[in-house]
Amino acid sequence: MDISSGAAVRSHCVGTTAVVYASDYLNKLTGEKIERECRRQLDSGCRALVIDFADTQLVNSIGISILLGIIDIAEKNGAQVVFSDVNNQTIELFDMLGLTRHVALAKDEREALSHLSGFDSTPTLH
Amino acid sequence: MNGSSSSENSGPVLGRVTRQDFVGRVAELDRVVAQASEAKKGRGLLLLMEPSAGVSELLRQTYDYLFNKRSEVIPIYFAFTRNETTAVSAAIEFLNSFLQQYIAFRRNEPALCHAALTLQDLVELAPPADLEWIEQLVQLYGRVRFSNDNKELVRFCLGAPQRVPNRVGRPFVMLDGAQLAADLNGGVMLGIELLRVFGRSGLSFVLAGLRRQILDAAHTAECNFELLDLLRLEQLTSEEAHRLVDHVAVRQQVATSREARDLLVEEFAGSPFFISSFLQAAREKNIALISYLDCQRLYVDELLGGHLHHHFEELLEETTPQLDKRLALIRVLWEAVVSGEKCASVDSWRRRLQLSANELDEVMHTLHIHEFVNWNGPTVDATTGSQPWKDFLKVNYRLAVLNEPRALVVADALTDSLKRAPHTMARHYKRLAQVDLRDVVTKFDCQQLPRVLFDYGSFSAKYKGASDAELFAGLGSEAEMLKLPQMVHVTSCLAFKSELRQVCEEHKCVVAHGFEDATYSDANEVIWLVAEVESKLEVDADVAEVWYDRLETVAQVFGFRRYQVWLIGNEGFSEAASTALSEHGAFCSNRRQLEVLIAQIGAVSASPVSTTHGTGDADEFLIVVPMGEDNELIAANTVEQIARRLTFQPAAINQIKTAIVEACINASEHSYSPDRKIYQRFRVESDRLVVTISSRGVVPTNVGSGNTNVTKTENDDAARQRRGWGLKLIRTLMDEVEFEKVDDGTSLRMTKYLRNSTG
Repeated sequence: MDISSGAAVRSHCVGTTAVVYASDYLNKLTGEKIERECRRQLDSGCRALVIDFADTQLVNSIGISILLGIIDIAEKNGAQVVFSDVNNQTIELFDMLGLTRHVALAKDEREALSHLSGFDSTPTLH
Repeated sequence: MNGSSSSENSGPVLGRVTRQDFVGRVAELDRVVAQASEAKKGRGLLLLMEPSAGVSELLRQTYDYLFNKRSEVIPIYFAFTRNETTAVSAAIEFLNSFLQQYIAFRRNEPALCHAALTLQDLVELAPPADLEWIEQLVQLYGRVRFSNDNKELVRFCLGAPQRVPNRVGRPFVMLDGAQLAADLNGGVMLGIELLRVFGRSGLSFVLAGLRRQILDAAHTAECNFELLDLLRLEQLTSEEAHRLVDHVAVRQQVATSREARDLLVEEFAGSPFFISSFLQAAREKNIALISYLDCQRLYVDELLGGHLHHHFEELLEETTPQLDKRLALIRVLWEAVVSGEKCASVDSWRRRLQLSANELDEVMHTLHIHEFVNWNGPTVDATTGSQPWKDFLKVNYRLAVLNEPRALVVADALTDSLKRAPHTMARHYKRLAQVDLRDVVTKFDCQQLPRVLFDYGSFSAKYKGASDAELFAGLGSEAEMLKLPQMVHVTSCLAFKSELRQVCEEHKCVVAHGFEDATYSDANEVIWLVAEVESKLEVDADVAEVWYDRLETVAQVFGFRRYQVWLIGNEGFSEAASTALSEHGAFCSNRRQLEVLIAQIGAVSASPVSTTHGTGDADEFLIVVPMGEDNELIAANTVEQIARRLTFQPAAINQIKTAIVEACINASEHSYSPDRKIYQRFRVESDRLVVTISSRGVVPTNVGSGNTNVTKTENDDAARQRRGWGLKLIRTLMDEVEFEKVDDGTSLRMTKYLRNSTG
């Protein structure tokens, strides 16, 4: 496992949706980097967030608590949040801590963007 | 002058330990030795000792160093003892010791210091070059001895070192236990005579004794303070005390554990006297000090009849020789301790003790000198004594005053001390791990800092999630700066408002008086009220308001004209809290801001220790990793390799890894660990993997709560609680989770069964 929490968070915009990529270990530091990037994207006018976990192999409870904070921030800004490409073990953790009740999950980034483009429809849950 | 720190010299002469075993007073030893130098000729050094801080071995080590150095300085050490009952007998004993040690030095025969010799023996042993003046001295002594003028005799004896011819060398006299000299009978105030004789002798000298008494005596003797130096001798620092415990335990051949050694240092507050006495008692009783129970059993034995008991009993007897008065004093003292009253009326004590005003003055003076109480004339505070003193008072009160059964008193003393031990250590660990705000604010001295360090809202918006490099680059380009005041007096809020003790610790709430621009005027005077608010999450608006009100109340009650409130929360403050505090004009920061500030002003901060090592046998792997720096991943990756050997499925491996990560985070976040290490043991069995994660320090409050299950219905609420999920996750991910009983810190054992993961 190649884990580095020092690198900047990758992100890009698709229309008014920001896609933010989580790193391989989601902990306090990397979680705060994601939060910061999400805040920046929302301040820049994005109306939806996709957080992609394709690279994420391990998460800890502090990282999860920060994700909840991001969901709160998005709610306050009237933005939707979708988590994409989350592995089964991580979904299990999200489920244990009730995160999946507050966020939509998508198979991958494309499905997440497609879901958001449909907007008011019910999210696909995995 | 660092010569005394080296080990170049021969063995002990008067010292009871070798130079190598004398730990914790290196700087003080150098300082006392320096007093003997030519540059300090004619100057006295008053060694002002905190009670039980230990001074005798320091002086004996100084003696040995100077003896073995063989320079023109002739060391003389004299300790007043309780065996001497009059000033005259003490002075005669001094004369005898002086001549004996002088001749031992001149003949370079250390053994002479310990021989039983009469004055005539000493004359016969005198080297030819000294014979004439020593013979004259002894003849003169014979005349003065029978002159019936006690004062003249005392002065003659004390003045003997002045008779040493200059060509021979310079006597350097060290007097130990000056407080005992003051208590001698015989119409001569020996303590004051000592200062008068040596203060005018033209010789360098050291006078060591209890700090509250020595200064009084120097004033009474009308000493010329321009010719006196002062050295304050307080308890050992934590690090020095640990070294002392290690050395004494080895010397006394007492087996100890790390946990027990730490407890001794804390229980005895770094007192060399108490620590040494305690370890001596362990040797005498052939007791190993491994667990807290070992330590506290011996402690209670000591309180009831050991060295500790005799020490305090002797001091009480000295204070009130009559038994009935002594019992009454024990009652009054203990009841004052329990009441917690800091300003008890001395008059009420006099009535309860049925003493005359003069008798009471003497009692109060002795108690004050030994720092059992703080006495300022009309009022007395008995709450300030050391913990061993209070424990001694309590057991004696119950035994001698209440006549309770001894077995009950012993049992209660033991259970109480056992219950107290983890709290004692917890306070210590918290102190180690946390920033002492007093140290930080004391360093304020007109430095210019980015204002954003005092405004969490702005800091969070700009720098949350930023790397250190990004943060420091950003701070470097901040335009808005704040000039700190120069702080001139910093103390705990508790000194102003003791009720705050219920909501915060001493070092976490500070009142600091200072001046802006270091300009000492009313207009520039400002008082900072600083508090660290405990919270694992951002501090919310309600809590922030409560703290602001607390500090504002202090400012109003004490009439602070201009004040600045600054609140610090580990994880910062919610948006609403930041806004509310900003509207009050208060500052707020999180831990990261505080750490940057500390780095910028050069204040002291707790710094973690990092060490790694590992070992193990065929079925067991042990690794130790330093806390922090994502080191939990090292443990997670290690367990992954081990779990694969047992053919755990990937999902189960991920669960084990996550549980270990959470256990490591718990250990790092909550333990206040003194060594900042996580000890991990992985034991492979045929059908299971057993992982034990241990750390030293404080036991988290949720340990042993029995909160073992997390149901899905709880999750929604839990999700909004944000933190404190670690243990719940661990219990869900692993098959068995159990906290093992350890004296110090926590040890979490987690088991994952192979059959569960393959099913």
